[in-house]
Amino acid sequence: MMESINIKDLITVGIFSVINIILIFTFGMLGYIPILMLGLPIIGALVWGIPFMLFLTRVNKFGMITLMGLIIGIVMFLSGHTWIPIIVYTITGLLSDIIIKTQNYSSIKTSIIGYAVFAVGLIGNMLPFFILRDYYISAMNASMGVEYVNFITPFLQYHFLIILVILTFIAGLISGYVGKLVLKKHFKKAGMA
Amino acid sequence: MMEELNTKLTNKSGFHMDPRTKIFILIILSFMVFNDAPLYISGILILIPFTSLFLSNHKKMATSYILLYLIATYLKIYVNPSLTGPSSMISASFTYTITRMLPVIIMGTYTVITTKVSEFVASMEEINVPKYIIIPLSVIFRYLPTIYEEIKSIRNAMRMRGIGLNFKTLKTPLKLVEFYMIPILISAVKTSDELSAASLTRGLSNPQRRTHLEIVNFSKTDAIFIIFAILGVVMYAYYFIGDILLV
Repeated sequence: MMESINIKDLITVGIFSVINIILIFTFGMLGYIPILMLGLPIIGALVWGIPFMLFLTRVNKFGMITLMGLIIGIVMFLSGHTWIPIIVYTITGLLSDIIIKTQNYSSIKTSIIGYAVFAVGLIGNMLPFFILRDYYISAMNASMGVEYVNFITPFLQYHFLIILVILTFIAGLISGYVGKLVLKKHFKKAGMA
Repeated sequence: MMEELNTKLTNKSGFHMDPRTKIFILIILSFMVFNDAPLYISGILILIPFTSLFLSNHKKMATSYILLYLIATYLKIYVNPSLTGPSSMISASFTYTITRMLPVIIMGTYTVITTKVSEFVASMEEINVPKYIIIPLSVIFRYLPTIYEEIKSIRNAMRMRGIGLNFKTLKTPLKLVEFYMIPILISAVKTSDELSAASLTRGLSNPQRRTHLEIVNFSKTDAIFIIFAILGVVMYAYYFIGDILLV
């Protein structure tokens, strides 16, 4: 199946990866506000909707979404988010690919669900905090001050992670729907979607 | 003739690093984010992006990077412990980002601004990375500088119409997102069409192995930088693992 992906598709993947990366880094600045740092996956899921929906109009082959996940993961790795995002993004990309493939990349419903699944990959950026929790807390005690640690520790529990995944998924659904509306409003007119 | 061309191509105004070396150093630097080491341990790794930027004529960026880093380190060691309340949180997250992330970000910036796309593709093909990864990554290399220009001009155009980051527009953030994102997306789609047309004329879709005008090879500079990077990472690892072994 991979053979059918041609150069044009690869370039599309590259361009939309750039847009997603720029968006996540710009909105990542909000992470300076302490409580928002853990909410970043939700914010990311909200802003990725429009580009991803536009991206889906140009996808008709299996593997492109997986590839985009892999590429975003590699860039996250190279910009200091550890190697965990590579795996998480690729897995969610693959799942999203499979979901959207079931309706042959043309159904709105599966597109939105598929996007929500893809957006859950954003958790990958936060996962190192959860996996190496004790280590991080001791390291943060030294570098960030006791107050910050006391503030953030209750949020680094595994049940909070599950809540975060669910919230990100819901944000993905909303954002995917908005993306579909925006697509209808702007890009259909311009003959792009 | 060919010889002349070769020397012309390889003799790139003094300092030059192989893309593979840059990526290798980036990977090594990205391990730094895990841990917090004292300055005398992480010093080598922090100086690598500085020297490479400084030697390749980006002196202003290099000096501001090292100054920012030193200020953040100073804050971390002397100021942070004595602060309390919300100011300590802001200061802590500021120093955290600068001391951990900035070296990686600066190295990434250096890689993007000094690597030509053809050079990147040539070196990646030499180590047999599949083209499904090379092409999107090279598009990222090619497109990242362009999209900054694009965003700047869109911002100017929007400001001319009275839409900018101010209190009036912040009341309707959705509108703001729409006004910025739609032009960027439209230009992105256009660029992707143009790029694929350009790549077709360059024969990128040819399944045969491509030839390159760009000559990539490891030089002395690469060897020196790789040795320093490995030295740095070994010291870094020893500092933490040795700690565990002693306990």
